[in-house]
Amino acid sequence: MKRTAKRVIESRSWVADTVQRPKTASAEAEGGCGVVGLASSVPIVGRHILSPLAQMHNRGNGKGGGIAVVGLSPEQMGVPKEILDDDYLLQVAYLKPIARRPLEDEMIRPFFEIHEEYEVETSTDEALLARLEVRPPAVRRYFCRVREDALEAFVKENGLEDLDRAKAEDEFVFQNSFRINHRYYASGDMQAFVMSHGRNMFVLKIVGYAEDVIAYYRLEELRAHIWIGHQRYPTKGRVWHPGGAHPFVGLDEALVHNGDFANYHSVTEYLAQRNIVPLFLTDTEISVLLFDLLSRTYEYPLECIIEALAPTTERDFELLPEYRRRKYRAIQAVHMHGSPDGPWFFIIGKNAVRERRLQLMGITDTSMLRPQVFALVDGDVQIGIVASEKQAVDSVLGSISEEMPSVPRYADKYWNARGGSHNYGGAFVFSLFSEEDGRGPMRLICTNKFGEAVSTPYRGWDRGEDARLARPGSGAAGDAAFVADIAHRKNAESSFRSFASSLASRPGDDISALFSRVVSYASESDSHRVEMVQLLTLMIDRVYPTGRLRPARITGLATEALEAVLRSSPRVEACKRSAHQLVDIANREALRAPDSPYDSLVVDCRDFPMEGEGGVSFVISKAKALGWNHVIAFATNGHRFIGCGLGPRSNGFRIDVHGSPGDYLASGVDGAEVRVHGNGQDQLGQIFSDGRLVVYGDVGQTFLYGGKGGEAFVMGSAAGRPLINAVGRPKVVINGTCLDYLAESFMAGNPLYGGGFAIVNGIAFDGTGRLVELPEAYPGGNLFSLASGGAIYIRDPRGQVGEDQLNGGRISRLTEADWNLMLPYLQENERLFGISLNDFLLKVDGVRRPPEEIYRKIEAVPLITLSGKTQMQDLGE
Amino acid sequence: MNRFKVVRADTCISCCLCESLCPYGVHRRVEGHTRILPPDDRKCIGPACEANDFFCVANCPTNSLSLRESDNFKSLGDPRWTADMILATWHQAETGAPLPLDHPANEGRSGGGFDELRLVLPEKTPRYDPDDMSTSMELNRRGTGERIRTSVPFYGGGMSFGSISVHTMLARVVAARKWDTFVSTGEGGYPKLLVPYSDSIITQIATGLFGVREETIQRSRIIEFKYAQGAKPGLGGHLLGDKNTPDVARMREAVPYTSLFSPFPFHSVYSVEDHKKHFDWALSINPKALLSAKVSTPNDVEMVAVGSYYAGAHIVHLDGGYGGTGAAPEIAKKNIAMPIEYAIPKVHRFLMAEGIRDEVTLVASGGIRTALDVAKAIALGADGVVTGTSELVALGCVRCGNCESGRGCPRGIATTDPELERQSTSDWGSSILDNLYSSWRAQWCELLARLEMSDISELVGRTDLLRYRQRPAKEVGE
Repeated sequence: MKRTAKRVIESRSWVADTVQRPKTASAEAEGGCGVVGLASSVPIVGRHILSPLAQMHNRGNGKGGGIAVVGLSPEQMGVPKEILDDDYLLQVAYLKPIARRPLEDEMIRPFFEIHEEYEVETSTDEALLARLEVRPPAVRRYFCRVREDALEAFVKENGLEDLDRAKAEDEFVFQNSFRINHRYYASGDMQAFVMSHGRNMFVLKIVGYAEDVIAYYRLEELRAHIWIGHQRYPTKGRVWHPGGAHPFVGLDEALVHNGDFANYHSVTEYLAQRNIVPLFLTDTEISVLLFDLLSRTYEYPLECIIEALAPTTERDFELLPEYRRRKYRAIQAVHMHGSPDGPWFFIIGKNAVRERRLQLMGITDTSMLRPQVFALVDGDVQIGIVASEKQAVDSVLGSISEEMPSVPRYADKYWNARGGSHNYGGAFVFSLFSEEDGRGPMRLICTNKFGEAVSTPYRGWDRGEDARLARPGSGAAGDAAFVADIAHRKNAESSFRSFASSLASRPGDDISALFSRVVSYASESDSHRVEMVQLLTLMIDRVYPTGRLRPARITGLATEALEAVLRSSPRVEACKRSAHQLVDIANREALRAPDSPYDSLVVDCRDFPMEGEGGVSFVISKAKALGWNHVIAFATNGHRFIGCGLGPRSNGFRIDVHGSPGDYLASGVDGAEVRVHGNGQDQLGQIFSDGRLVVYGDVGQTFLYGGKGGEAFVMGSAAGRPLINAVGRPKVVINGTCLDYLAESFMAGNPLYGGGFAIVNGIAFDGTGRLVELPEAYPGGNLFSLASGGAIYIRDPRGQVGEDQLNGGRISRLTEADWNLMLPYLQENERLFGISLNDFLLKVDGVRRPPEEIYRKIEAVPLITLSGKTQMQDLGE
Repeated sequence: MNRFKVVRADTCISCCLCESLCPYGVHRRVEGHTRILPPDDRKCIGPACEANDFFCVANCPTNSLSLRESDNFKSLGDPRWTADMILATWHQAETGAPLPLDHPANEGRSGGGFDELRLVLPEKTPRYDPDDMSTSMELNRRGTGERIRTSVPFYGGGMSFGSISVHTMLARVVAARKWDTFVSTGEGGYPKLLVPYSDSIITQIATGLFGVREETIQRSRIIEFKYAQGAKPGLGGHLLGDKNTPDVARMREAVPYTSLFSPFPFHSVYSVEDHKKHFDWALSINPKALLSAKVSTPNDVEMVAVGSYYAGAHIVHLDGGYGGTGAAPEIAKKNIAMPIEYAIPKVHRFLMAEGIRDEVTLVASGGIRTALDVAKAIALGADGVVTGTSELVALGCVRCGNCESGRGCPRGIATTDPELERQSTSDWGSSILDNLYSSWRAQWCELLARLEMSDISELVGRTDLLRYRQRPAKEVGE
């Protein structure tokens, strides 16, 4: 340990002396929560963060919401730029106004030079105030520096002469805030506490929902580079003070947390040994104290901090390069006891003052027990987003793109992180920095744990073309012949092929014109609408080269066009003779039996609640009961349970889902077909019994948990634990791969005699719409663990999957019977996603190979530990 | 079963003096036979008879009679389920007669748990009419949804098809229906025979999701989410290969004769907000259902309970560590979960302090054996209990502990072996359970009468009526 670090820790010994020993368990148990973090190269106003937080309402329970903001504007904060950059922005929440005078006189004015101070403005909206169970505290803001004499005394007293003066000042602020919190909050009557004290950043939190924070403290128009929002779900009931709400601060960083530690006690002990004691008794507080200790006191580089928090283990550790293993072994030896255990996911916003960077990071636990999604938008405005749910990402982008059309509705790249992985470390950092020594515009780069850059898959698109596409109705005529050819062809598949093959050479104006023509053509007649819905759906589903155009933009425009076309369908109460009949929140009571079995019910999900009896899933199951055979649900935005409640034997019923549907989609389906035209979220197809599930994208955690049968096709990858505990005969094709724990406890009989299996292709589309093999067919360290039945057919022509990834399974040679079993599913896979069997899957480096050289079979072996009889005998009973 | 063994030696001359002496009818000669029958020692009162003039052993002119404890009896039971308690339960189950409240068979000799607690009851029993007494339990205490009352303060806990025979399942359900209460299916599905009784069935959704289908969720009025089992926290359910017979495998859609393990925990639920989502999922399939969360008893059990309430649970079911069939590993049963007698008052008081106790039905399970155990659990703060093993004992279980092996159950209860199953029928079983419940209810009525109460809900949380046997001064539940 550095001598200065030791001195700093010693200087905090009064903390351990004043505060009682920590409790053994956090006093306020809480579980997962809704979190979202956003970093943008251009300052973003607060109202854009409102919609994702409202979307994740159901991830909180109104007992705590908070916002952290980093990278503010001097004008809005009412101070010159130098003050904003250099001063500590001390924010004190006065729960009891009477505490202010003594607190200031005792703890602030004697030590700080205050350059500006004022009360944070609050809302007077009656409706909002009525909604808030607990009146939020008055917050006072002080822009201040530590007085020279106070600092000098502090340095002398603690022997910190060797420490950099600025760092000593940081430490003074940190300890002073601790003193305030201890004296005025933790030691008894909760009069006041420090919400934040970092530079160019602040935190506001209340008892209520996070969106109420924005409304109450009037942050709708506040501009900032980094925003973090948190919906809290504490389990203890009568929370009346905001001190326990997230985010919590270290010094220049704010942290929110989704999850729950199993080893709160161990981590507090670890911190107590370093003279750090929590005052608010939640695991989030100790998380940020841990981060602050590692970064500010020990001055570890980010990679090492992440390693100390989420240690790399098992197979991933073995696969690290030697120099990294050596370093990590040392870190783990010292800090293992302080690393949080259990499900957690951190989002951290940081003003890295010395590096002159603003940072947003997301760190996942090694077991990947919490859902998380990262997203990246490139272009003139660069945005990085981290959230608990993908729909929160889409929601924030949807809101921003309305104000700034150059930002597309969908991100250029979405991904999930595999915690503790050897190839990227399970953590990502969005850094904002300004070129030209702080005066130029901000740029954003995304890096992984190891500092390697992460970029969007396709960067060949042209910004000018994209800008033209971003402003629809700019009057561009486009190539009329091209537009007519695509739109009027009467055959969606053929129109699409022609569109996809010509896109690379087309300018944006043609595409703009095409989409507006598609919308107007669709409104002409029923059959036109049917054709255009098919065409637009193909444009959204498939991946194809886009030439000078931005892929996310095309998807966004196609989605907008599709929504416009579907919204123009006749309403269900108005018209009986139409192929599409519309239901939305307003007329859902008017839903009636269809006139013709070939009609489709179109459900506009936009204004429906996320769940509950007023939700979309009930409209769909009612439609099923009334005799509809096809439902198109569009504009979903986190709506849960779509396809649940259809009842047994729903064969012949089909649901097409557009947008960003929520968790538990198609869970319990027994016969119906559900198609998701985009990414699916978590818990898709739980106990799926029969029928078909097609996902034109990725799927989240625990896909097909406890599945019993049916067929599922996934164009992309699955996150953690797909097919866990599946039994019966599910037949699954996953074209990408899975983060880890694929088919744990799989019990699906013998696939050759009617049992179940999963085909994993380990491939992906690259940015130009070409198929490529993934670097690893299966990256995780746990494959087919403890499975007693079923099989995995994995495309692994390079023999990358090894026995060390298995726990109970074995790799065997593909037989002809296996291949005959797989073949129809791969052919269907080709039909659905355009992934060619003969031209791609069966070729290696362009050369055609026999199937048994390409696919390997992983099957169950009878394990002694899994057979009761043997176990009994072993025990000698 | 005989408690004592009366042995008649070959030296007997069949003088039949003993027949004329014994008022209990142990010795009998059939008219016309020369030799006396072997002693019917089930009727013998044992060494206590020595004091009587008519003690047969002392009176036998040829000294042919001897008396000792029966080997069967000696080998029966364990400190928790003593031989006396097993016999008393069998007696109750056969006759329906209540066991006197001061009978020693109401308690075991484990030296802990409910055996360490004593209910303080006034000596005198006032006159009462059992019909005026309420022993019912409200299962939905929230303001909305179907109100369901059971007529007894318990329902049957989850024992799956596979772990017990279909006759046993059916017997439990038929008896439950008669008493307006419920039985949980346990993990692993819903045999067809039970479908007509679905109004009295609780569908369990456990971590393996075996046998869970939309129709089983839609059929039930109550859905139970099994998060953990007090007998083996940290382990999912397991059904070893031998018991996974073709019938069971069909129900669970698994391969016959492979061992089936459920994971721990639900891999889709790692937080309270996941937990709410999980509930919402079940409600999206059956919006009318009541929800129950079955959890074990970790140190922060009160946080778990309050979290379940806020997620929407109607019933919070605490499963302590004394229960579990022979299939649960001994080391887990005895060492992991918090004892239920600590967990109940902890949760009860916490919910009171939160101001939500009136909206939750708190039930407890894990080692509840007798009517008095039920009363003690209620006095500790539960609204009612969940039963399991006591029903199996009533059906003839001798607690041999071989539940996990397919042909291990000598009574054909915890087996799905078609041959062993034939030892009982569901009609017989349901009448046995009916008797047991009648007997229990009669015991509760007397207990309430002694306490001058008329409704068992008045007993909830009355820890002042409980004393520790070893430490009478200490208040129970602290």
